[in-house]
Amino acid sequence: MLIYLYCVTNKAPELKEIENLVDRLYFVEHQGLYAVVSKVKESEFDEANLKKNLTDFEWVRAKASIHEKAIEGVMKNACVIPFKFGTIFKTEDNLKTMLEEHLQDFQENLKNLEDKEEWGLKLYCDMEKLKSAIGQEEAEILKMEKEINSSSSGKAYLLKKKKEKLLDIVVNKKLNKFSQDSFERLSKHSIQTRINKLLPKEVTERKDDMVLNAAFLVDKEEVGSFIRVTELLTTTYGESGLFFDCTGPWPPYNFCNLSKEKPQNG
Amino acid sequence: MDDVITKSKDVTLLEILDRVLDKGAVVSGDIVISVADVDLIYIGLKVLVSSVETMERLRGAPILGAMQEPT
Repeated sequence: MLIYLYCVTNKAPELKEIENLVDRLYFVEHQGLYAVVSKVKESEFDEANLKKNLTDFEWVRAKASIHEKAIEGVMKNACVIPFKFGTIFKTEDNLKTMLEEHLQDFQENLKNLEDKEEWGLKLYCDMEKLKSAIGQEEAEILKMEKEINSSSSGKAYLLKKKKEKLLDIVVNKKLNKFSQDSFERLSKHSIQTRINKLLPKEVTERKDDMVLNAAFLVDKEEVGSFIRVTELLTTTYGESGLFFDCTGPWPPYNFCNLSKEKPQNG
Repeated sequence: MDDVITKSKDVTLLEILDRVLDKGAVVSGDIVISVADVDLIYIGLKVLVSSVETMERLRGAPILGAMQEPT
């Protein structure tokens, strides 16, 4: 059997509510750190089999859900360092060696994460809706509209083209301004922030475009204010086609800064 | 507000790809999923994701968005 690592915490984790998620979920203690692990089969998780299974997305989806749920369960009662999916050890000794190597690192991270939560904001934009909202209120566009209506068909055609071009520019400018403003207002209620890469529609399973993907580390006492800001932003920008998908609390996937960790891609 | 996730919900494909598979603390375990292995996940995902452009975006190739990662 192999040992699959979910998370590390600094107090004895309560596993009762999540022990049905997987076989043999337990923790390994080392110097005041508790690693939440489960025994997994070589036939699923050794190098060769893992590589094979990674190409099966339904397998990945099922295992990744277990990974997330196990960590969320532990997180209810303790501060956690969540590990990346598929961190596996051959023996308990090897796991303890790793804990020993990162002892200070883990303790510092856990201390920094104490009483804080990760929240995510994925901002989407219905470009057509934004376009029409701007088209109806932007003075310059309205002026051109008037001009088009009072022009001969030839001139109107050219003006229309010019208007479309201008509208695209204004739409982009506004979208930038709106997302910048949203990010900044939420940042004021956060301790750390991170901007991640935008994901395509196949993954978001939405019709509108993702225009901002950000993570925020929020003090527990500030969470109420943070959520209120997202509601306020929805009121402010919802009519313009923006949709604020705010989720949390997440395990702090985006805010574990191990000193040996390679910089991650944004 | 309705948009705030409830914990009973299943983890979405989006969050699996954005968080569980992409982020989290990285240590040198005996077996870890390397950058090259992540490509295997995308091969498995191909049934869901059709275009080359989309795959490039998932792999983290630079894309133009409303905001870029601050440097």
